[in-house]
Amino acid sequence: MSAPYAALLHQLTTQRGVRASLIVSEGDGLVVDANLRVGEDGDRVAALVASVYRKARRSSRAAQLGGVAFLELEAERGRICAAGRGDLVVVVLAEVGANVGLMRVQLMKAVESLI
Amino acid sequence: MSDEIRRWSEELARDPGSLVFLQLGESLRRQGQLDIALRIAARGLERHPRNADAHDLVARIAVDRGELASAMAEWEAVLRLDPNHLGALKGIGFVRFQEGRPADAEGYLTRAAALGGAADVQVALEHVRRSSAPIRAIDDETVAVTDPQRLFADLLRDVGQTALLLDAQGCVLGGMYVDADGVDVGQEIGAHLSGISDEVRRAMRRLDVGSWRSIVFETQLAVVAMSPTAEDGVLVVAAAKTTPLGSLKRLLERCLERAARWLAHTSRAGGGNA
Repeated sequence: MSAPYAALLHQLTTQRGVRASLIVSEGDGLVVDANLRVGEDGDRVAALVASVYRKARRSSRAAQLGGVAFLELEAERGRICAAGRGDLVVVVLAEVGANVGLMRVQLMKAVESLI
Repeated sequence: MSDEIRRWSEELARDPGSLVFLQLGESLRRQGQLDIALRIAARGLERHPRNADAHDLVARIAVDRGELASAMAEWEAVLRLDPNHLGALKGIGFVRFQEGRPADAEGYLTRAAALGGAADVQVALEHVRRSSAPIRAIDDETVAVTDPQRLFADLLRDVGQTALLLDAQGCVLGGMYVDADGVDVGQEIGAHLSGISDEVRRAMRRLDVGSWRSIVFETQLAVVAMSPTAEDGVLVVAAAKTTPLGSLKRLLERCLERAARWLAHTSRAGGGNA
């Protein structure tokens, strides 16, 4: 794992139920930094979240709702939470039973510390 | 910076007494640049303290900043200058509703409607009236003949709540998506969210986490939730930012159930209502 965001990502990934955490470039969907368990496909998660986040931001702008602060995608066997600042999006991939409220708080804190 | 904002800024710099600050402040407000908008509006108000529209602008910015008491004070100032000011009547109606005073809110909005208030006033008035009416179960027959635009109307209880049913191409099937100015931006929202269901479904399969159930996102002014429907469509609901996420998800579930019944009916009827 590269250095700039290692501590931030480590803190996110040590939460109960969290399988991976990443920092993604919203513009091109590429991974900027990641803390992944073996078998997790960071590139796919990054591409998906960047695309969904972009669509959410555009539709929010169309409805005059301002910028997107937090996003949660829930699936049958997992959930993805994300929070963005500028072009960077901090992403957490978690088990379906993970505590969303806690993840949200940690993500918002993490976003504040992004350079 | 848009060309208009640049032009108005330059005009205001050349002539600080110009009323162009009203357009400039409103544009900045709509872009979410609330601090700058407030500075522009406050300076304009200092120069034009008896201009009702200047007070109205400051009030609208205050609402966007979540400062309802300040907004209320400004709109009361507007009504002292111009008792029939539509913006102030509508604004006070909004604040009264947020304070849990729907009867007062209805009074102000009714006055605004009588003075020729546009569609946004009618939408707000309907929201307020619905909020004080008991929820009743709608039978399948009623669902079948409901005007598609009003498909979710009885389920939306609070001002700011809105629901929209989109097909796989992002075209609106039912409901409407009303922005802060009361304008239905459903088609535009649909265009931006088109294809999201199919895209997310494919990605979820690759990530081996099963089918997607919902996407929720928080913006500066609202919370939005969406969920897949039949034939790769999407249901989108939105509510005020103060709405707890759990409450938003319950609203999403109720609207999903309504959408499923309506889609089943239109499917049986050969798409007649859609």
